[in-house]
Amino acid sequence: MSPTSAPSKTGKAPSRASRKRSPLARFLVRRVVTALLLALGITLVTFVLTNLVPGDPVSANLGQRALGDPAIVAQWRADHGLDKPLPQQYLLYLGGLVHGDLGESQQSHRPVSEDLADFVPATLELAGAAILVSLVLGVAFGVFAALRRDRLPDHVLRVLSLVGISVPTFWLALVAFYIFFYRLQVTPGSGRIDPGMTAPPHVTGLYTIDSALAGQWDVFSSAIGHLIAPALVLALYTIGLLTRFTRSAVLEVLGQDYVRAARAKGLPGRVILFRYVVRPALVPIITVAGLAFGSLLSGTVLVEAVFAWPGVGQYAYKSATTLDLPAVMGVGLVVGGVYLIINLVVDVLYGVIDPRVRVS
Amino acid sequence: MATRSRQAALLPVVLTGFLALAACSGGGSSSSQSSPGGGAGKTLVIDTSFNLKTADPGRTYEPTGLIVGKAAYDTLLTFNGGDLTKPVPDLAESYDMSSDGTKLTLKLRQGATFADGSPVTADDVVFSLTRVRDMKGTPSFLLDGVEIAKTDETTITLTSKTPNPALPFILPNPALGILNSKVAKEHGATTDTADKAEQYLNSASAGSGPYTIESLNVSSEVVLKRNAKYWGARKPVYDKVVIRNVQAATQKLNVQRGDSQVALDLSGDQLAGISGGLQVTKTASANVVFLLANQDPSVSKVTSSPKFAEAVRKGLDYPGLLELAGEGSVQAPGVIPSMLLGALPADQVVKRDVEGAKAALKESGAANPTVKLEYPSELTVNGLSLQPVAERIQANLKEVGITVELAPSPVTTALDNYRNGKEQLGLWYWGPDYPDPSDYLAFLPGKLVGLRAGWKAGADKELEAAGEKAATTVGDDARKQAYVDIQTKLNASGPFIPLIQPSQNIVTAASVTGLTYNPVWTVDVADLGTK
Repeated sequence: MSPTSAPSKTGKAPSRASRKRSPLARFLVRRVVTALLLALGITLVTFVLTNLVPGDPVSANLGQRALGDPAIVAQWRADHGLDKPLPQQYLLYLGGLVHGDLGESQQSHRPVSEDLADFVPATLELAGAAILVSLVLGVAFGVFAALRRDRLPDHVLRVLSLVGISVPTFWLALVAFYIFFYRLQVTPGSGRIDPGMTAPPHVTGLYTIDSALAGQWDVFSSAIGHLIAPALVLALYTIGLLTRFTRSAVLEVLGQDYVRAARAKGLPGRVILFRYVVRPALVPIITVAGLAFGSLLSGTVLVEAVFAWPGVGQYAYKSATTLDLPAVMGVGLVVGGVYLIINLVVDVLYGVIDPRVRVS
Repeated sequence: MATRSRQAALLPVVLTGFLALAACSGGGSSSSQSSPGGGAGKTLVIDTSFNLKTADPGRTYEPTGLIVGKAAYDTLLTFNGGDLTKPVPDLAESYDMSSDGTKLTLKLRQGATFADGSPVTADDVVFSLTRVRDMKGTPSFLLDGVEIAKTDETTITLTSKTPNPALPFILPNPALGILNSKVAKEHGATTDTADKAEQYLNSASAGSGPYTIESLNVSSEVVLKRNAKYWGARKPVYDKVVIRNVQAATQKLNVQRGDSQVALDLSGDQLAGISGGLQVTKTASANVVFLLANQDPSVSKVTSSPKFAEAVRKGLDYPGLLELAGEGSVQAPGVIPSMLLGALPADQVVKRDVEGAKAALKESGAANPTVKLEYPSELTVNGLSLQPVAERIQANLKEVGITVELAPSPVTTALDNYRNGKEQLGLWYWGPDYPDPSDYLAFLPGKLVGLRAGWKAGADKELEAAGEKAATTVGDDARKQAYVDIQTKLNASGPFIPLIQPSQNIVTAASVTGLTYNPVWTVDVADLGTK
């Protein structure tokens, strides 16, 4: 029975509108309203915090001579709307936001939306590759370790996963760049593609996909090559995390009666593993993976710096250190949006994996 | 067992697979001299830590922007290589300064063309310079009070109400690059604050320089393309120049591996181990790192005593500080850097005198004072971090009897106190806005930097009068003497303690020729050639 068809607590019959709305529609409406409230909260918190920082964007953006010229300073403040009271600045920002206008970056002097359109795909490509690698390797290692519990492979993988979780990403990025690029010469250098190559025509902003769509296989090959080292560095923490979570989740499922029953029935090991063990174990793993994707986004700031990856992490760092408020708020909204989408995807996946979640 | 072995080998196999894929994609080969996806021809890759906001010459004033500006725009005058003592013709074929220093007449060169093939005219010059002055962008101050006029089709005059002998030294600044006014106007350029051409000028250039801008991203990469119609004798060598935003540690590995050909920001420490035929250029930069002791008693009763500044000046171990900056750095003899007219000779640098410092401290009336030293924590000057410099100062002054509390903060925060003259002791640097000693009159009482040290107008009338006189003095010899005198007095009784001119270290591949460090635009891309 659908929850919407149950009598209300007041005893009144449900309204026609609520009867018509499906659980999925209600779920999506709830999510959209939450997203809007969250976006509002992000703008408010970012705006207040950035303005609380004891610094003046004018100092961060104008040269030392220009700072001494009141006309230039006044012009700069007027150009960026900083000559208005703070509440008015915030309301003006919200007004623009309603119309899809994220303001203009004080650093690049371009609309923030255009900046983000340039930088976000680069980070999504990197973080996406990292999470893909993490999921494949982390789950595989975790399952393998659980199946070989307390044997050598299990010990090795547990130590490796601990190392992955413990090693600072920034240090690891430097070491990986030094060893694989400089010493072993097996990975290419800085950036998303080789210097001198022309970026593929913009479709998605993901060079691997855009170059494949354009049939530029030399660019595709270069983009893949440049992606591997930073993606692996970024993924190492998540691989470690997922290995540990998968191992414990699989171990828990392995001890269940229905798994023993399946074994007793003489089902093939592969069927037991994938149908009876891995699938139920995936629910907590997906939760962790969703959270890990968020931490990957924050990790990109450091990895992008080392690999000169032109992503949103570098943009965010530069914006924050120059008190570029519209850019900081734009990044905040994007990151918040990504979290919301991930949560939504995770919730939907729960339903796909576990029918009990769908019913409830 | 065989199955188990395969499973146990999963991790190395997977990793090896990834790395093999990376190697197949070009990781094992240098991509420096060719452009696999961008057409045939030579590509030069320059790595630098970006300080770039725009490529609009009317608004640019950051080091990376000046590199780009120098490549894409010609100026009326320029400097030969790194010689900042004499401006030489560029778009102007000659110039003449009136004897009273108020009128500069420039004769425009015939035959110079923009990248689209149209000629550079006097109207373009008047439009471009007026735009910079009246748009109120960051470099507007360069032409403050200067009237720009076209006398005839080939003559431009720049007139100032008061003598402006620095003007020929200001004009080479890439911020004063000459725009193709027709193209710029078509894209919103005006000579007032309503100008809207920046977006266009960040995506394409409208200059007559040896390169044009193919693409620009202020956070990651600028791509320059050879101007096939370049009018000058020095034809650009590279078809494409890629300037990438890369942090210093990565720059070193990139240039060593051959992934880039030029690394601009290596610190002295990072030069260790550079070999393999790479060329290293170490030149003292024009940035002067200095200490200030605030003269405002309301900020600090201790630092406002002239004798306290003397104690600090005598108490510092300058060779020790130089060690931190690395080879190629020099002790700053005064606030004017060594390569500019009016710089103090190297033998006039301040030397450590701990006993003298203790005596001066005693005379200041402060017994075992404690003062706060503020500085921007994350700022590096030519690769030199100010943090170890501050720590060394702290240790030096401890020997004199001064306790220094270190107060680092992010640049944006530290700048506020510095700008408002609220720091007791401050550790900062000054890079020349233009390579003329008059830029350093800002250090006098009541002027821009003087006020940051709480040194108000009237605090030293003799020095202020000397500054006013120097600003209007015409003639190299007379100007040189005037500025030497000012600095000698500043070093004796001023609130500033010049410390170091850190070295600008540039590493280039063995194949690159023609590199010269210029303190204004760092490197002229058009100078770079290949063996």
